[in-house]
Amino acid sequence: MVEAIEVELQSVSKFYGEDKVVDAVSLHVNQGEIFVLIGPSGCGKTTTLKMINQLIPHTSGRILVRGKDVTELDPVELRRSIGYVIQYIGLLPHLTIRDNITFVLQLKKYNKKMQRERAMELIETVGLPVSYLDRHPRELSGGQQQRVGVARALAADPEILLMDEPFGAVDPITREQLQLELLRLQETIKKTIIFVTHDMQEAFKVGDRIGIMRGGRLVTIGTAMDIVRERDEFIRNFIGQGAIFSALDTIPAARAIIDDLPIVQEGAALDDDVLSLTGDWENIFIVDGQRRCLGYISLSEIKGQRKIDREKVTACPPPCRPGDSLKKVIEEMLWGNRAWLPVVSEEGYFLGIVSFQSCASLLVG
Amino acid sequence: MRTNPLWMNVWNYLVSKADFWGSMLASHFMLVVWSSCIVIILGVPLGLLISRNKRLRDAVLGVIGVLYTIPILALFGFLIPLMGIGLKPALIALSIYGIMPVIRNTCVGIEQVSASFKEAADGMGANRAQILFRVELPLAFPVIFAGIRTAIVMSFSVATYAVFIGAAGMGTIILIGMRTYNEGMLVSGTVLLALTTVLVDRLLGWLEKGVQKKFGMVEP
Ligand SMILES: Nc1ncnc2c1ncn2[C@@H]1O[C@H](COP(=O)(O)OP(=O)(O)OP(=O)(O)O)[C@@H](O)[C@H]1O
Ligand SMILES: [Mg+2]
Repeated sequence: MVEAIEVELQSVSKFYGEDKVVDAVSLHVNQGEIFVLIGPSGCGKTTTLKMINQLIPHTSGRILVRGKDVTELDPVELRRSIGYVIQYIGLLPHLTIRDNITFVLQLKKYNKKMQRERAMELIETVGLPVSYLDRHPRELSGGQQQRVGVARALAADPEILLMDEPFGAVDPITREQLQLELLRLQETIKKTIIFVTHDMQEAFKVGDRIGIMRGGRLVTIGTAMDIVRERDEFIRNFIGQGAIFSALDTIPAARAIIDDLPIVQEGAALDDDVLSLTGDWENIFIVDGQRRCLGYISLSEIKGQRKIDREKVTACPPPCRPGDSLKKVIEEMLWGNRAWLPVVSEEGYFLGIVSFQSCASLLVG
Repeated sequence: MRTNPLWMNVWNYLVSKADFWGSMLASHFMLVVWSSCIVIILGVPLGLLISRNKRLRDAVLGVIGVLYTIPILALFGFLIPLMGIGLKPALIALSIYGIMPVIRNTCVGIEQVSASFKEAADGMGANRAQILFRVELPLAFPVIFAGIRTAIVMSFSVATYAVFIGAAGMGTIILIGMRTYNEGMLVSGTVLLALTTVLVDRLLGWLEKGVQKKFGMVEP
C-alpha cells in the first residue's frame, strides 16, 4: 500500500513578537496513521496543532493538508473538513449532547433527519447510551464528556482528526479505557489522527509514530521502539525509566512470530520429505485438518516410526493471539515458565510460535 | 372631616372609578412596553457592538453611567425644551434609563463567554455570525435577560414620573390624589402600582429561571 501523506509541515515556525513558540517544525503524517505530539507543558504542541487548521496562523514555513497549502484554502471550509477535539473538551453547555454532536452538521446545513441519525450512530460509536443525547453536558461525567468530544469531532466524517489531549481530564483507568476504544475505533474508521498528549504511556499506547517537542522544536520522530533507543539525554529523561517496557506494550506478537516450523498433519506418513523439514528443530508440530494445533512431539520420539503415536504428543502451552502485545506474551512466558508460546488466530488456526529468542531478536534488531 | 375608614375610601374608589384607573394602568403598561421595546432593540446591539472594542466600551459605559445619575425630573428639564411634552419625551426619558442595564449586561454577558467555547466553535468551522448566534448570544442570554428584567422593573417605577411630562399613567392617579387630598384615590393608585410592579417582577423572575434552565445554566 502506498502511504499518502495527508498532513505535512515544512519548517513551520510561529512567533509571538520576539518569542519563537514553534521553531522550524517539519513533519508529515500518513493517511490512516496516529501521529502523537508529546512534550512538556508550554513546548508548543497546541500551537502546532492549531496551525494545521489555521486557528493560529503560522509565521513562516508551509503547511499542506491533502497536498494543498492551508493559506490558500478558505479557513472555514478547512476547519469543517478536519475534526477537532479541543483541549479541555469545550462542549457547549447550552446545547444538548445531540446538538453538540451535530454542531458541524448544523453549520454545514445537513438535513434534520440525517443529523438525528448521525447523532444516534455516533453516540453508540463512542459507547454511550442513546438516551444521553437529550442531556446537557453538565449532566455527564468528565470521561463521558470526552467521549462526546470525540463523537463531535467525528460528526462530519472528516479524514483528518486533530486531538488536543482528548483524554486529559479523566482518571487513569477511564483514560486507558478511552485509549483502547480509540484504537478499536481506529481499526474501522482509519482516520489520519494527530494526537497531542504529555503522557508518555499514552503516546506509546496510541501512537504509530511519536514526535517529541521541546521548547518549540521537534527533537525526534519515530516509533515507540525508535524512541526508547534514543541516546539523547533530554529524551531519556523525558520518557523516563522503564519506558522500554511500555514500548513493549505497543508491539504486537504478530511481529515476532516464527512460522517456518516443521508442521505435519495428523495421520500423515512420516516419510523423509517430512523429516527433512525439521532442520535444526528438536520438535515437530502436529495439526488437524482445520489447522488446529494438537501439540508437538520430540524428534527423538519419532525416529524410525512411520506414524505418530498420539500417546507421545505433548499438548501446547496456552496460546496467545497475534494482536497480544509482546509485553503480555513475555509476561505469560515468565508466568508459565515457558520458553515459547503458540500463536493462534481468532479462528483457531495455528500461526506459529513466539519465543524469548524471537522477541529478543526483534528488539535488538 | 373623616367620615369613612380608609379602606372604605379605597374600596369605593376602586369600584366607582374602575374605568379611569383601568385606563391609567393601561397607559402605564403601554409606556413600559414601548420603552422596553426600544431599550431591547437598541440596547442589545449596542452592548454587542461595544463588547468588540475596549475603548468604545469604556466610553459608552462611562457616558451612560453619567446619564444614569441625572435625576429623572432633571432629565425632563432637558427634554421639555427640546421636544415639548407628551408621550414622545416620556418614552425617550424612560428609554435612557432602561437602556443602561441592557447595554451593560449584554456587553458583560458577551465578554463572559469563555474563550474555549468560541474556540471550539471556531475550530469546527463556524463563521463569525454562527459563533455569535449559536454560541455567544445563547451563552450570554441569561445575563442579557437579567439586564432586561432590571430595565423593565425599573421603568415600571420610573414611568410614574411620566405624568410630569404630560404622559398618562399611574403617576396621574397619585398626583391627582395628592392635589385633591383624595385619600382613596392616592392609596388605591399606590397600592395598584406596587402590586403590579411586584407581579411583573415575579413574572419576569419566573421567566428568567426558565431561560436559565433552557440554556443549561442551573440544575433543573
Ligand atoms: N497568544 C499568545 N501570545 C504569546 N505567547 C503565547 C500565546 N499563546 C501561547 N503562547 C506561548 O506559546 C507557548 C506554547 O504554547 P502551547 O499552548 O502550544 O503549549 P502546549 O505545548 O500545548 O502546552 P500544554 O501542554 O500546557 O497545553 C507557551 O509558552 C505559551 O506561553
Ligand atoms: Mg496544549
